[in-house]
Amino acid sequence: MIELLGLEVEAGGFRVGPVGLRAGDGRYVVLLGPSGAGKSLVLEAAAGVRGAAAGRIRLAGADVTGLTPERRRVGLVFQDGLLFPHLTVAANIAYGMRAAGRDGVAAGGAAPRSRGHRLSARVREEKVRRLAATVGVTALLDRRPATLSGGERQRVALARALAAGPRALLLDEPLSAVDPEAREELQEVLRRICGERRLPVLHVTHDRDEAFALADECVVLIGGRVHQAGKPLEVLRRPADAAVARFLGARNVLPARRDPADPRLAVLDAGGALPTASPLPAEAVVVVVRPEDLRLAPAGDPAAATAATVTRLTLQGGHVLVGLAAPAPLDALVPAGELDAAGITVGQKVTVSVRPEHVHVLPAG
Amino acid sequence: MGRRPFSLFWALCAAAGVVLLTFVVLPAGSMIAEAGAGLLGEALRQDDVRRSLVLTVSAALITTVIGFVVGVPLAYLLARKEFPGKRAVEGVIDLPIVFPHTAAGVALLTVYGRQGVVGRLLAPLGIEFTETMAGIVLAMLFVSLPFLVDGAREAFALVDERYEHVARTLGSSRFGAFARVTFPQAWRGVLAGAVLMWGRGISEFGAVVILAYNPKVISVLTFERFEGFGLRAAQPPAVLIVLVAFVAFLLARTFLVPRRRRTGKGQR
Repeated sequence: MIELLGLEVEAGGFRVGPVGLRAGDGRYVVLLGPSGAGKSLVLEAAAGVRGAAAGRIRLAGADVTGLTPERRRVGLVFQDGLLFPHLTVAANIAYGMRAAGRDGVAAGGAAPRSRGHRLSARVREEKVRRLAATVGVTALLDRRPATLSGGERQRVALARALAAGPRALLLDEPLSAVDPEAREELQEVLRRICGERRLPVLHVTHDRDEAFALADECVVLIGGRVHQAGKPLEVLRRPADAAVARFLGARNVLPARRDPADPRLAVLDAGGALPTASPLPAEAVVVVVRPEDLRLAPAGDPAAATAATVTRLTLQGGHVLVGLAAPAPLDALVPAGELDAAGITVGQKVTVSVRPEHVHVLPAG
Repeated sequence: MGRRPFSLFWALCAAAGVVLLTFVVLPAGSMIAEAGAGLLGEALRQDDVRRSLVLTVSAALITTVIGFVVGVPLAYLLARKEFPGKRAVEGVIDLPIVFPHTAAGVALLTVYGRQGVVGRLLAPLGIEFTETMAGIVLAMLFVSLPFLVDGAREAFALVDERYEHVARTLGSSRFGAFARVTFPQAWRGVLAGAVLMWGRGISEFGAVVILAYNPKVISVLTFERFEGFGLRAAQPPAVLIVLVAFVAFLLARTFLVPRRRRTGKGQR
């Protein structure tokens, strides 16, 4: 288990934290946030390559805050793999076994040092082969890092980290430099290793999809401060504040007030209104609606709530992001086929509806 | 459409290059051409030239080894750490480059000469810097250290510090990470700096001549012969040292020119 307890990190006048999080054995925690949020600083402090300004770091129940990186036994993987370019893939993977042996730092699972050098070398080779098979790089063992693809490099970096017998895996944007197809495969490898080896994983990323695909728990860090922590779906559906909602792609984050006549109707400051599931408070609020929760219908549909004009259409994969003036600016995400069938085009009048339970209400400010 | 004409801008750049190259190559080239193999053989047959060559090359080598031992750790520190006064330290290291070398010799003599602060302290131990090999090494070290420190610092700075972070989480000590991960990636640049330092050492005249006129390094010998016997007499040692330096630099440039840090381009 890895625990960060009120961890604060400082770099160049920028202070991050306090960050509190816990990844149990076999649990996958993603620290999610935009660039410049301070995620990597947290990870570096957890690895011990950067000092903590305040707070504690615990690994498997032991306080490691004051320990040097080589005594912490954590596996660190960076975005670009950072394989040692002067070593072969096999030598990269074996690095941790050797370093641990030389420096007298215990590496779990390393070859017993009491045996002869020859045998321990053989044991090492065997272990390298096993790890290479685990991450699917057996055919690459004699290659140099410069000849590998982004995905291959990350697999090797992962095997190298595992070879030293880490008590936790710390991953800094490990999929950012990987092709989309290779990314899905690598995600599977990461999940499998975390589960099979019962390793706690702390994974840092700015990519929401990556976070939601992998995480047991998400911690959202924005501007150096933890805004929310929870299960991915919970964070996605119930953002703690407007900043989290915006970062998670809610797009429709709108200041509003309670309708004097109907406490379950939010009157948007920019015009228009949206229904809510529970009565609104008297004070100003912010309502959040994810674009995929908005429904469009041709104008005049009796079930629709608000009239709007289509201002722009942007293709996004198999969906279309529809810009609307309702008159508040709204974004709706609609399956491309559905849009086609309804014959919706730019400039057209439509009606917009949303189920009240999909309108998330946050305190203003 | 035909090929785009060679633009005037590039033509001017190339013209400047030709002028500069001619300026550098002409004196060295014509000296060697005029001397020919005969003069080289003559140089090698002369005892004082041979002795001077061995002295110059070995003093520069000792200087470089000393520079390596003290300069590499400093270069690494400068490449990796920010600390108050870092700019000042870098400035001090580079100071000998702008110092007139005769002034450097005078400064060294002030401190390390028989009456100097350090010279007085070391004399009872039998260490003297005036008119000795130690003095030659001292003078060479003073003027050539920036070349090694700057070269090594650049080479270390090109190695991403996160390699060391990874190595340390894999169990390497700080020194282990340096020795097994950083140095193997930076060694070409460090060695190129060392070769430059050595080259600067063998060519040093101003500081050496003031601190240790004798035993004569080759630049001093060349000067003495020119002063005493004219151009013809100065040519053999001059030709010899130019050739030695040329071969050393050719080898260094062939094998040691530091590789540029790779970008993602061109890599699979």
